[in-house]
Amino acid sequence: MFASIPSAVVVGAQGYPVRVEAHVGPGLPGFSIGGRPDESVRESRDRTRAAILSSQLPYPKTRITVNLAPSDLRKSGAGLDLAIAVGILAAGEQIPLEAIARLAFIGELGLDGSVRAVPGVAPMVGALGDVDVVVPVASALEAEVAALGRVRLVATLGELVAVLNGLTPWVDHEVASPPAEPELTADLAEVQGQPFARQALEIAAAGGHHVLMVGPPGAGKTMLAARLPGLLPPLERAQALEATMVCSAAGLALPSGGLVTRPPFRAPHHTASSAALIGGGSGAARPGEVSLAHGGTLFLDEIAEFAPKVLDGLRQPLEDRQITVSRSGVHVVLPADFLLIAAMNPCPCGGGAPGECLCNADQLHRYVRRLSGPLLDRFDLRVNVHRPGVDELLAHRSAESSATVAARVAEARRRALDRQGCLNRELSGAQLDDFAPLTNPSRAILRHELEHGRLSARGYHRIRRVARSIADLDGGGGEVVDVDAVHLALGLRSAFTKVLPMGRVA
Amino acid sequence: MSAAETTPHGDDDAVAGGYLSALAGFEHMTPSRLRHLLRGRTACEAYAMAVGDIPPSPALEVVFSRRLDLRTRWSAQAARRRPEQCWADTVAAGVRVITPDHPEFPAQLAVDPACPAVLFVRGDLAALDARRVGIIGTRNATQAGRSTAAQLGAELAEVGVVVLSGLARGIDAAAHRGALTCPDATPVAVVGNGLDSPYPKQNTELWNQLGARGLLLSEWPVGVAPDPFRFPLRNRILAALTEVLVVVESRERGGSLITAREAITRSVEVMAVPGSVHSRASVGTNRLLADGALTANDTADVLMALGLDHRRAGRARFDARAPLAGTDVDVYDSCREQPRTVDGIMLLTGAGVTETAMQLARLEHAGWLTETGGWFEAIDVWGSLA
Repeated sequence: MFASIPSAVVVGAQGYPVRVEAHVGPGLPGFSIGGRPDESVRESRDRTRAAILSSQLPYPKTRITVNLAPSDLRKSGAGLDLAIAVGILAAGEQIPLEAIARLAFIGELGLDGSVRAVPGVAPMVGALGDVDVVVPVASALEAEVAALGRVRLVATLGELVAVLNGLTPWVDHEVASPPAEPELTADLAEVQGQPFARQALEIAAAGGHHVLMVGPPGAGKTMLAARLPGLLPPLERAQALEATMVCSAAGLALPSGGLVTRPPFRAPHHTASSAALIGGGSGAARPGEVSLAHGGTLFLDEIAEFAPKVLDGLRQPLEDRQITVSRSGVHVVLPADFLLIAAMNPCPCGGGAPGECLCNADQLHRYVRRLSGPLLDRFDLRVNVHRPGVDELLAHRSAESSATVAARVAEARRRALDRQGCLNRELSGAQLDDFAPLTNPSRAILRHELEHGRLSARGYHRIRRVARSIADLDGGGGEVVDVDAVHLALGLRSAFTKVLPMGRVA
Repeated sequence: MSAAETTPHGDDDAVAGGYLSALAGFEHMTPSRLRHLLRGRTACEAYAMAVGDIPPSPALEVVFSRRLDLRTRWSAQAARRRPEQCWADTVAAGVRVITPDHPEFPAQLAVDPACPAVLFVRGDLAALDARRVGIIGTRNATQAGRSTAAQLGAELAEVGVVVLSGLARGIDAAAHRGALTCPDATPVAVVGNGLDSPYPKQNTELWNQLGARGLLLSEWPVGVAPDPFRFPLRNRILAALTEVLVVVESRERGGSLITAREAITRSVEVMAVPGSVHSRASVGTNRLLADGALTANDTADVLMALGLDHRRAGRARFDARAPLAGTDVDVYDSCREQPRTVDGIMLLTGAGVTETAMQLARLEHAGWLTETGGWFEAIDVWGSLA
């Protein structure tokens, strides 16, 4: 007998429908799987056999052949277990074919017959389209987010077979809802002093500009970076769906609403490998940190300590806002539209006020050169952050809360989107002339900087983009970028400008 | 024939100079080893003994027995440092070789207990006949410190005092730059490497100016690299050549304090420029003051220590910058007190980020402030030299 069961696999953050064809027929007892299964799928033979036997169901004593179609796709993961078991049982006439006619199955089997969650249920269900899906109880939320048809939950294989045979109705499983997302605890109001760095964060959030914070240990770089997500508006629906798919594919828990709407914040350690940061790995091409930060913030603390090769992998996603992972047999495009915020010390000794640094010019150059020129160039904002002085700490100036700043950011973003349909970060050179024209005095300032070798051609455009964001935040309605915005933009890009020889200044 | 009996004959000088240039540049050569080798021998004999062509003297035998690989190392050097080649390099670099028996050898050094066995010279040794003040300090100086050094250098040179320093980054270079503003000045630099290659690189122009107008001294021959161990040795020569040593800025540890110690053992008057207790660059100088160094508030103090009439010092320098007004004055003054960040200035003026950024950019543009790593420092009238 023969049965064909719809299921799905996930590659990268993309689901692909897979048909599990099972044939049980005459021949010596045996079980073979074809259709480019990888090792984890081949292990499924033992799991399904044990699960069927543990569920007190008859296991066919003849030849079992399972084929996974389409055969050009390499299948990976244990998510096909449930479909294979259902296929075998249906082909062995334990389940009526009409009962599974419009059902798809996703789930991993335990040896005791229990059905377990697998990563990537959301993209898998999304790929299956308008069918009813049977998923493990623990994957309920992920399936609901992406499902077009109904979502059926099962806890064990025995329970599923009873339902499909019409012996019992679908069991109404209690879905443990994840704990409600805690309110963002990191508020900008807690940051004492640092008005300059706060301003930089606000501008970064408004224009989507990548930020490099340069400052001695203890200056509060990490504290400031952790407060950037609180300034960003919630994700748009399309981006939220993409973020949810990535989150599910990586096996991370989804928030209580199912959809990832809050901009994610990822802070990988500087020992992260290329596969961890960019994505990939053997076989399944897991999403990396750049994709997990999709729609949100990627924070690289001590960026100079990352392996240079790993950092250079960031250049493509920073440019294309997606990452293409190619391995033999796997070719995946993952979304990777994130705001990069990085922190580093000004020099190997940690730096400080003039006269405190112990490093000579060579050491300083070598340290800064750990970041390649093109990468350093991607940072629109390069801000010096300082340890606040005693006076600044004690100054009783009530600091603005994240909510206040976020409101201004949202307003500035709306202005930019209304005007040009994209964030200021994405403005091209030609668009800058249309949307961020300079006044004559501000053009004179930039000319002076260019002539004195403190600004390169690329840096010139970046300054103009940042100045555009500053003008948007200012709200004065000015469509022209004036001197004050240009001065502030230059001040916010000053770190390393004097350290680097011309050509690397950007 | 001993070195003392050599007649100052051109060819003999060249031969001896070649052997001395070769020998002094051997690896693991120290001033005291060189002194041992040259005691009672000609340069040629000393060279032959060092490379093992003639049996070592008892004193050298002791040196060899203390450091076992020295014998093989030195004999290997014979092939690499050929006297003829070394002499050609020395001549090409415009460098003269002077030994203590030479009539021009600085008298202050000849009587020094740690007298260098040989000096390599570029420029006119007559510069050392004038009154001499050493101005030294940290390489990682503040703008204020560099300004002070430049001012002291210029005003001392103006009254005919020779400024000595080490030609390092920071204070040393600023003092030399200041001295060179005076057209008749003959500043002196004692350096820690061969006189053919300016070190550090950014002081190349200054180095060449000193070679042309003043005097460059080193106890290392042409081609010797600036290894770290050579600088403390250089400091003793610097200390021995000065009458008054002024430390402008120094950390809690560093080469300037070594020079100061060398100066104290030679009864050279040590002066220090007082600095803010908040500035790390003034920790060493403030400690020197606590330990009894004289205070150098201005050039007059230094001239007083030299026993000179101080009323001539301190002619005002013309300031071409447009005068400041309004809050610019406050901002400039507070940056003069100590380096400030944008945040610090905002706290002071109460202005917003944008206005402050504009104000600072304007002041930097006009030459009143300088920015490093996000810190703003005031540039005084001498600052353009620093």
